[in-house]
Amino acid sequence: MIQWRNEIRQTAKGLAFLSPWLIGFAVFMALPIGLSLYLSFCDYPLLQPPVFVGLRNYHAMLHDSVFWESLRNTGYYALLTLPAGMIIAIGAALLLNSRVRGIAIYRAIIFLPSLVPLVASSMVWLWLFNSRLGLINTILRYLGFAHPPGWLTTTQWAMPSLAIMSFWGLGNTIVIYLAGLQDVPRELYEAAEIDGASPSRQLWHVTLPGISPVIFFNLIMAIIGVVQNFTVPYVMTQGGPDRVTYLFTMYLYDNAFSFLHMGYASAMAWVELLIVLLLTGIAFWSSRHWVHYQGK
Amino acid sequence: MKRMLKNIGFVILLIPALAILFFGPRQQAGVPKGRVVVTYWEKWTGPEEQQMKIIVDDFNATVGLKKHIFVQFVSMADIDKKTLIATAAGVPPDIAGLWDNDIAQFASLGALTPLGQLAREHGITRKTYKKVYWKACHYHGRLYALVSTPADIALLYNKLVFKSDARKLRAAGLNPNQAPQTIKQLDAYARVLTKFGPRGQLLRAGFLPTEPGWYYPEVFFWFGGHIWNAKTHQFTLTTPQDVAAYRWIAAYSKWLGPEAINSFTSAQGNFESAQNPFMLGTLAMEQQGPWMANYIYSYDRPFSTLHWSYAKALTMPLAQRRKNYGWAVAPFPSAVPGMKDVSYCGFDAFVIPRGATHIKQAFTFIAYVESQPVMERLCSMMSKNSPLRKVSRDFIEHNPNPYIDVFEKLANSPNARGLPKIPIMPQVVDELNTEAQAVALLERTPTRALEKAQHRLQREYDSYERVQRLRRAEK
Repeated sequence: MIQWRNEIRQTAKGLAFLSPWLIGFAVFMALPIGLSLYLSFCDYPLLQPPVFVGLRNYHAMLHDSVFWESLRNTGYYALLTLPAGMIIAIGAALLLNSRVRGIAIYRAIIFLPSLVPLVASSMVWLWLFNSRLGLINTILRYLGFAHPPGWLTTTQWAMPSLAIMSFWGLGNTIVIYLAGLQDVPRELYEAAEIDGASPSRQLWHVTLPGISPVIFFNLIMAIIGVVQNFTVPYVMTQGGPDRVTYLFTMYLYDNAFSFLHMGYASAMAWVELLIVLLLTGIAFWSSRHWVHYQGK
Repeated sequence: MKRMLKNIGFVILLIPALAILFFGPRQQAGVPKGRVVVTYWEKWTGPEEQQMKIIVDDFNATVGLKKHIFVQFVSMADIDKKTLIATAAGVPPDIAGLWDNDIAQFASLGALTPLGQLAREHGITRKTYKKVYWKACHYHGRLYALVSTPADIALLYNKLVFKSDARKLRAAGLNPNQAPQTIKQLDAYARVLTKFGPRGQLLRAGFLPTEPGWYYPEVFFWFGGHIWNAKTHQFTLTTPQDVAAYRWIAAYSKWLGPEAINSFTSAQGNFESAQNPFMLGTLAMEQQGPWMANYIYSYDRPFSTLHWSYAKALTMPLAQRRKNYGWAVAPFPSAVPGMKDVSYCGFDAFVIPRGATHIKQAFTFIAYVESQPVMERLCSMMSKNSPLRKVSRDFIEHNPNPYIDVFEKLANSPNARGLPKIPIMPQVVDELNTEAQAVALLERTPTRALEKAQHRLQREYDSYERVQRLRRAEK
């Protein structure tokens, strides 16, 4: 009986200590999530009470050309940034893993841009991409390109420009890969060397399988990050020109706070969640074939 | 030891907490005792914020003192969104400084307090206002807003560029001492004044319909077109006049090339800087509002002081004073024969959001600003025209904007127009901006772009109407 009372007391104490987080989660996460699900079945212009409209918001998406356009743009952005971003990050991590003098400085240089606030770096890149005065086109002209592209002002180049800019902030990902690379057992390389494996074979058969859990983690984070991307296109292009950089989250934001279609925006948020779940689900399913954990 | 550390930790946390509690910021800081505090949120930052602050301070020191009202002025970005969220949360400001475009959307959602009765009590009637502004303050026949400062759009042109290229203009049969009168003439002037560099790059644009890029929904006005038929609740974007307006935008892109235009535009500085293309002389003519007089004076003083100091010029008769300026203003040309003095008249609006706690006191302040001397003082500081029907001679003669009479004439014109009051106005503006951009990039033909906008916006509006019917039925 006394033991039972002690346990209850301990649990109560534990819950009391957890309560700031529990209350915070309930008020700021669980409740809004539940409300957004309910609102996704309503017409809710924020200033009038919500009216239940059933599946109308979801149905409207099927016929909303801008919805599909924003989804297509997000998919295109993901295709441009996800594979290239991973290759660049792994490549940079491999270089930073080598034993050369001053490596700590190189690591700091690579990591520094990811510390710059997104809005600030967007402003810098706006000037770098400036078609007449920007550094990139100045260099291209110097190299003999008479008509370098209008990076952010043409429909063909606006999205690739955003993708290029996204690689600037890969410092965090690179550091995680670097940590993963340093965890690959040295003896595996020694064994491969004894077997006569070339550096490229070592990379393919030792390094990449060795860091595959890290690649998997970064892939999941990148998928979520890409689908939620908002700040950079909002600052740099506002979705233009001709909506080619108008991403899913930007349309969601406009629906919620400019057009006051809170219900429609909530439905979009749930579709976004489903997309993220689907993509991460596929990644998890495929991970059985390419992710190798040590000791398994 | 452990207990002592615990106590020290507790005291370390307690001291800043108590300090914040007793000496931290106070919402009512600086508010004289016994006054009702009216919170006033406004969009302006920079000089305009300071100018409105002067008016607020004057009110607090005079009428406010007498009537025990204190206006607390808060300047903020994204005022429409913040007002909206605060209103939805039930804690709106007493006065919000929105844009004219916001009125229909806010009013249709019941987010604004009707001001008709209060206006009548303070003697503010349709006779007080210029017709175009009074009409634009209404939604479905009810008064929901009053003007804080108005504006209308005209053609600004660089007299120095006209003078330097006078020979070429004359050779093309154009008068260098006069602004273009029709769209056809405007295009002809633009062709003469446009200059290319050795690599074919645009060095100076005579005129660009895409500059400054703020007036795409209003571009139809120059062609006699309309956005919306208020009687039938139908968009009218595919009329020949509207198509002609978009063809005009496309014509410039076809002539100069969208890439050349984009390259030119991206090399220009911000509107609010000395690198503004109009001030730099790289854009000879531009559609702009009266506020430009202040911006030009702030960022390119020599452009407004060719012969005499600014203070000295202010004492001179208007005709003589204009010689001091390198720029001038004329009504924007129209494409419709015989249609003169066409202008888009927009304004910054005072509204009292639903749920405001001090409606009467808030309106006392609004009425104070709407009085002729105060309004003229405020508009003079911002170099804007007045929304009021009565305008003093002094306002015209000694206005920092030497062309204020042109803006006054445009606001009084029968062809002065405001944007239609459509409850889905943010979508309308967004859609028309996107389609105009697509036309300027030659991504879509004018007809296709307008058909697309017409289809999408009409569907949006019909959907809005359906839901409103559903709401009425639920009640």
